[in-house]
Amino acid sequence: MKKEYDAIIIGGGSMGLTLGAYLQRAGMETAIFERRWEEGSAICTSECTAPGFLHNLHANFCEFMDWHPPYHDFKLEELGVRMIYPEAQAAIGFSDGRPPIVLYSVEKPENFKKTHESIAQYSKHDADTYVGLRKQILELQDVIAVNYYNPPQDTTGGRGDFFPMLGIPSDLITASCKAVIDYLYESSEFKTMMYRILQEFGPALEMEGLGAMIMGNFWISLNWRMMVGGTHTLAHGLEMAGVREGMDFYENCEVVKVLLDNGRASGIQLKDGTQIKARKLVASNADIKATMLDMVGEENLSETWVRRVKNYRIGYSNVLASTALALHEAPDYKSAKYNPDMNKAFYTIVGFDTPEEILQYIRDGVSGRMPGIAGAGTWVNSLWDPNYAPKGKHSLTGWFFAPKASDLTIEEWDEVKATYNDKFIQRFEKWAPNMTRDNVIADYFYTPLDQELEMRLMEGDFQNGSYMPNQTGHNRPFPEASQYRTEIEGLYLCGPYMHPGGGVSSGVGYNCFKVVAHDFGLEKFWENHPRGF
Amino acid sequence: MENTKYDAIIIGAGHNGMALATYLGKSGWKVLVLERRLEEGGGLCTEQYTRVEFNHNLHSNYHTFVGLCPVYDDLELVGGRDGVSYAHPPVQMGSIFEDGTAMTIHTDMKKTHASMSRFSKKDADTFQRLYKEVKGFQDLMIGTLMYAPPIDVNDITKALSIWKVEDKTEFFRARLRSISINDFLDKHFEHDKIKAMLAFHASICGYFTDVVGLAISFPFMLGKIDNWRLCLGGAHRLAHTLWRKMRRYDITLRMASPVQKILVENGKAVGVQTYDDQEFYADKLVASSIDLGQTFNDMLPEDAAIPKEIQLEIDNYQYQDGSFFSVHMAMDKIPTYKAAEFDPDINNAWVLNLGFERLEDFNQDWEDIRNKKVPANPKLNVAVNSMFDSTDAPDGKATGLIRVWVPYDVDGKGPGTWNTSFKDVYTNRCILKMEKYCDNFTRDDIIQAKPYTPLDISEKLVNMVNGDWMMGKISEENLMGNRPSPLMSQYKTPIDGLYLCGSTTHPHGFITFGPAYNALKAIAEDFGMDRWWEEI
Repeated sequence: MKKEYDAIIIGGGSMGLTLGAYLQRAGMETAIFERRWEEGSAICTSECTAPGFLHNLHANFCEFMDWHPPYHDFKLEELGVRMIYPEAQAAIGFSDGRPPIVLYSVEKPENFKKTHESIAQYSKHDADTYVGLRKQILELQDVIAVNYYNPPQDTTGGRGDFFPMLGIPSDLITASCKAVIDYLYESSEFKTMMYRILQEFGPALEMEGLGAMIMGNFWISLNWRMMVGGTHTLAHGLEMAGVREGMDFYENCEVVKVLLDNGRASGIQLKDGTQIKARKLVASNADIKATMLDMVGEENLSETWVRRVKNYRIGYSNVLASTALALHEAPDYKSAKYNPDMNKAFYTIVGFDTPEEILQYIRDGVSGRMPGIAGAGTWVNSLWDPNYAPKGKHSLTGWFFAPKASDLTIEEWDEVKATYNDKFIQRFEKWAPNMTRDNVIADYFYTPLDQELEMRLMEGDFQNGSYMPNQTGHNRPFPEASQYRTEIEGLYLCGPYMHPGGGVSSGVGYNCFKVVAHDFGLEKFWENHPRGF
Repeated sequence: MENTKYDAIIIGAGHNGMALATYLGKSGWKVLVLERRLEEGGGLCTEQYTRVEFNHNLHSNYHTFVGLCPVYDDLELVGGRDGVSYAHPPVQMGSIFEDGTAMTIHTDMKKTHASMSRFSKKDADTFQRLYKEVKGFQDLMIGTLMYAPPIDVNDITKALSIWKVEDKTEFFRARLRSISINDFLDKHFEHDKIKAMLAFHASICGYFTDVVGLAISFPFMLGKIDNWRLCLGGAHRLAHTLWRKMRRYDITLRMASPVQKILVENGKAVGVQTYDDQEFYADKLVASSIDLGQTFNDMLPEDAAIPKEIQLEIDNYQYQDGSFFSVHMAMDKIPTYKAAEFDPDINNAWVLNLGFERLEDFNQDWEDIRNKKVPANPKLNVAVNSMFDSTDAPDGKATGLIRVWVPYDVDGKGPGTWNTSFKDVYTNRCILKMEKYCDNFTRDDIIQAKPYTPLDISEKLVNMVNGDWMMGKISEENLMGNRPSPLMSQYKTPIDGLYLCGSTTHPHGFITFGPAYNALKAIAEDFGMDRWWEEI
């Protein structure tokens, strides 16, 4: 292990890997120190049910890949990162076997017609509205991407500026996402679907002041890509992009301290006492509280920063539990008799018949209990990619909205772990009669507490910080820190608690790199890049 | 546009595939490695199998060739920029016996001698002479018998007599070829427990102690009884290291890319086709590090010219009679043992034998396994890596492993039994057994225990056919120049340009890197490569 680098990055999650590859390419000798034995943090794929069955326990949607800067800048496809873009992107079925609603990918114009027809079964108004909006977004999406892939510039969060252009009243910007959906759509079936899809993006449906966040949801829905062989292949690709540039990566190296020299970040100390010097900078994509309060230490921070960091809120938005099922057969939905694509949609909503059920489900979660209704957003990636399951078998992964890790005791989580899948399967059978216990070869349940322990996604919040009006955009994580710098000179933040948040976007890592490039006079290659960000 | 032309394509990113790729890449070749699984490393596989934060080595756990194998040095796999670190536990192994006594093998051979002397001074002295004698021959044996394409077994016998080895040594005898490890132990040692300790060591190395002919390997094996090392951070770190080395030489590794077909033109292997119908071409060679069945029967075109006698050998390739049943444990503490009253060092020993008391115990198990019976009374190999690697469990907790030899096929009904509740029953039986030896450790100290069966092995790593992590029987008919068959023992196949570089070739499975290194020698010869690596 070298004892000195230009740049040291704490944490090998997707954002740290992104920043590392760019810094090394820009000429900084860079190393990443990761606490775990694997790179990629939440871009992980696991054989948690049975050998040969792959499950993406965290990231499954890879929706930003058309923009994702490192994917293009480092030619990650050459490094084995490949994607599939399923035609039927999202579907919802119903327990009484009513026709499903299926939404199709946006790459082909004729797919809008299919999407329209599907929604129009329940409401022509909703179909017109949704398809109209989604088409408008196609025109705007590169502009939205510019907001995403730049440090936040203003205090409104940016995305809400688009409301007037889309014919949505501006006052809804400060309402809840639910209010926006209720304003736009009328049919119970489609609202159920929209509520749930919104929830996958993170913000709590009824949280006031987050209406503008629906723009991100408009943008990325139906842009959902699946990673061939597991989302973790992207972690492999990002790490190898950095290694190809000459970067170093050390796993099993827990950083316990950011070393300071005259108030400037000058290096790190590992758990075993080893110190490594950083000639230019230290950047952390570890949890913000651990970084500032434990690694830097309260005594080295101003009263304002200590207060800001302590007040930073984590959960209830973005708190998920995952289910993983190894299956003999893929689910065969009752609703599929009206549209066989119901059985081959990338993202399938199961367990909800009405918008009220979704609301109850989320209210349960934010009240600190596992939802009484065990419904989920699910993926059966083996339908497209044989790498996900042994021949003829299938792997299903799903997400539940869940209470925070600290809401339940360890014993209570163990109980949930042991029982909730059964509850889910019992409900699933009402939507897809072949989803009996006998169809399940093995199952696994991944709790928010597991996520906190394993990934240090505190409280099981995959964005490492709530989406709430005072924690988005320029306010994320708090105004003084929003530009990826800290009050410690040479210490930068690049975790999902920064704008634009987590997800498989590489946004935080990329934006942090821009700020570092500015501070250290590195070449600003993006200024002349045709993509515009 | 993706690049599809390479000098060499390697099928399988296990440790051998990756090592060969790195040598070739470092020699300036353009190399592509295709791996079926999501992760590189094959048996170098570490996962949070029981609970998050508890890292378990699901396959490879014991690395005994560090410092002996030239690949570690050539490719700088230890220390330095991308390298791993190894722990070398001072108390390497131990046996705990039912009467409360215990024996320990140390890196310090004086201590080993002292421990054995408590059972038999005579045996301890014998062991010491044997160990010293082996050490004197170790480099020669490593160079000729491990890290060189295999010679005919008969030539070894001849060499022993030509060099008049028998006159110079007490233990090396040509007749070792006709006896088993048990026979060797019976001949030279008197005390049951010492014999059991040494036989246990051989069994964990993958050698059945009653197989006639294996005694020839035994002295050599004993020479590294003090070289058991633990890859810090999990065995998978060695895979990361190899992968980063590959990347530094611009070698591409594609995961989740099962090879479907080896492309053959005019009798020469020219490339491969992956499951998604992509084709990749190799100017110089294709090397397979996976099993024979997949390579020859599944991937080669039906009209590939495989001579009948070779096809017969492929079809009749023998696998080990048994496999491992493992119990992985997330634990509240590191166990200590009642036998520490007799020998306190036992609490610091890494690789433990709990159950084999005498050679008959081994024979009983081998017989059960060959009769497809799961040993009713499991005899355990226990290892708690957390004693030497604090990164494999949360602070104050520990990660533990129990391993037992069992058959793959149970009661002649196939491996399906391993998918029933029997695996939980057997898990409990193993834990109960372990409990009996401990003084501070009960089931209640196990946060979670999860079995990993022979069927799991073969389903996770499909080239470990029948759950055989040695990838082929360890017997004279299947070692050295007979592995995988007399006609293919030189890493070449009847298909021009198709090489073998995996554990089906000499020497065998385990993290020896021998197959890769020896395949490299064959390839270097064929392609007139400059040999920058250390020749041993």
